Amino acid sequence: MKRVFFIAFNEVKLYLQDKGDLAFSLLLPIVTFALIYGAFGGQTLFEATAYVVDEDEGAYSSIFLEQLEAVEGVDVELITTSQADTKLERSDVLLVLHIPDGFSEALTSGERTQLVFRQRGNAGQEGQIVANIIRGVAEEMNQEFQVHRQVSDSLQGKGIPEDRIEVVVQEFLDKERRQPVVGVVEETLGGSPDFVNQFLPGIVTMYVLFAIAMAARVIVEERRKGTLERLLTTRLSVGQLFLGKFFASVSRGFVQTLILLGLSYAVFQIFTPLSFLESLVIALIFAGAASAVGLIIASIARSEDGATWIAVVFSVITFMIGGTFFEIAEGTGLYTISRFSINSYANDAFNVIIAQGGSLADVGPELGILAGVMVVGLVVSRLIFRVVPGGK
Amino acid sequence: MAEEFLVVKDLHKSFNEFKAVNGVSFSIGKGEIFGLLGPNGAGKTTTIRMLATVLKADSGEITIGGHSVRRDAESVRNIIGVCPQDLALYEDLSALDNMVFFGRMAGMNGKEAKEQAMTNLKMMGLVDRAKGKVAKFSGGMKRRINLAIALMGNPRLLFLDEPTVGIDPQSRNNIYETIEDLRDKGMSVLYTTHYMEEADRLCKRVAIMDGGQIIALDTPYKLKGEIGSPEQVTLEDVFLKLTGRSLRD
Repeated sequence: MKRVFFIAFNEVKLYLQDKGDLAFSLLLPIVTFALIYGAFGGQTLFEATAYVVDEDEGAYSSIFLEQLEAVEGVDVELITTSQADTKLERSDVLLVLHIPDGFSEALTSGERTQLVFRQRGNAGQEGQIVANIIRGVAEEMNQEFQVHRQVSDSLQGKGIPEDRIEVVVQEFLDKERRQPVVGVVEETLGGSPDFVNQFLPGIVTMYVLFAIAMAARVIVEERRKGTLERLLTTRLSVGQLFLGKFFASVSRGFVQTLILLGLSYAVFQIFTPLSFLESLVIALIFAGAASAVGLIIASIARSEDGATWIAVVFSVITFMIGGTFFEIAEGTGLYTISRFSINSYANDAFNVIIAQGGSLADVGPELGILAGVMVVGLVVSRLIFRVVPGGK
Repeated sequence: MAEEFLVVKDLHKSFNEFKAVNGVSFSIGKGEIFGLLGPNGAGKTTTIRMLATVLKADSGEITIGGHSVRRDAESVRNIIGVCPQDLALYEDLSALDNMVFFGRMAGMNGKEAKEQAMTNLKMMGLVDRAKGKVAKFSGGMKRRINLAIALMGNPRLLFLDEPTVGIDPQSRNNIYETIEDLRDKGMSVLYTTHYMEEADRLCKRVAIMDGGQIIALDTPYKLKGEIGSPEQVTLEDVFLKLTGRSLRD
């Protein structure tokens, strides 16, 4: 078994020496990722920072800031008055909210108070949106105070303790927030709201398919170099040679996938730690299946060009019929054809994990088929392999 | 003749209708350098491939060091070294890495492989280029590395298929001396070459093949003596007389 790993290690060593190959296989996933990010990375929900000078630092200013922070897409950053002046002066920020000193004290004593916006020009589009969000939070706070005041006024003189009124009113308001009388439901028309979830599985499987071409070349390259015959006059068996080449090809396909999935995890945050690991498992098994198919091609091909062309044609057909970037409806003729493509199973498995939040248990049949292709591919490639015509 | 180390009996191999090897028999003694000569297409390489366990014979028997190639190829591979005619090297790796890798394939552990690689490189006068990339070596240096790799794992029988093609006299001389030194240490060598003076100098006996058959087998001296005075006739004269002067593919 040691010799299998020496073969794989040697292959990886040769791969690292070939700068062109290395750049192609490692940089290309990064470039693809950058393109995805450029195309879809900006299409997220509105996100902005509300810059706040809290001169009050009282109970109600804290409540106000908590409610503001709770608004989706809004981050609150507390700054000092002098920082606000500098940032506004330099146009680093276009809008700053000032919560004046005595804000909480005024509200406690039932007096009116005011929040102050200091802004550069018209505060820009983002500033105007943030200002409207702040107005909305302030309006909500106003309504709560009005409810408190009206309930307290109507119950005055009826012997109900003030703190009891406070608790009941607060419970009522909390319930209202959780189950509003008028709610909002989002309905999205015209495609998936998340392009990354939709396209990432296809891009990952596309890169793993390159493993077919890589595996297809390795044996033929050894033949061209003359090292194949030499290796087979040592203690190395053909089976060990194939396993070594297989592991090397799987490693290369897997590293490419690891880069893509890792970057997606870091930038788009579409994974949990578990779903990331599950995606890696799928990638590993798929890389195994693709590499085994590549070794079958390697056993048939007599030249590097021949191997490359067979692998490219096979990969393109697999890629096209496998529903890589489009959904194939079950029950259609295309769906039946797609079942002959290994990447349709990998796509399905990735989709379940990445887009649908499923687990490996949900993709057992797909993984089983890929593992089956891997084992059968390895056996077949070994059976049809000949060192030289008529040879072992 | 010394104790037989390699015995070939009535070896046959055909590719479709073409008989590449047709009833070849010979033997090589321990510590003997045996020359296998012949024009292109004579069947030398096919014969070596069968001896080196790469190709299965259609019929016939090959025994190396007491092990049958047909029944116990693995034991045979433990005791043979092959230096192919075409360079069989990883040009992107260093000389040392190439040798250590093939040493590991020959069953050596890392330390042994590295030690023997350095010894072989020293023998080939390449120790100072151990870490140099093979791609940057001259043709002669690559030939010497090609031979040095064949010696990894301490084989007892060495197949040398035209090891001196296209190299300068210095490198060629280094290879001759190495082969003679190995012979003196008891290694058997099967040597093929198109340079007849090389065979004359190195080989104790030579077999001349043509059309898949051995058409002559004896010491160079006796073969020369069959067509004239051994002091005046060359082995090339013998070769041309036996195989003809018509051009081959």
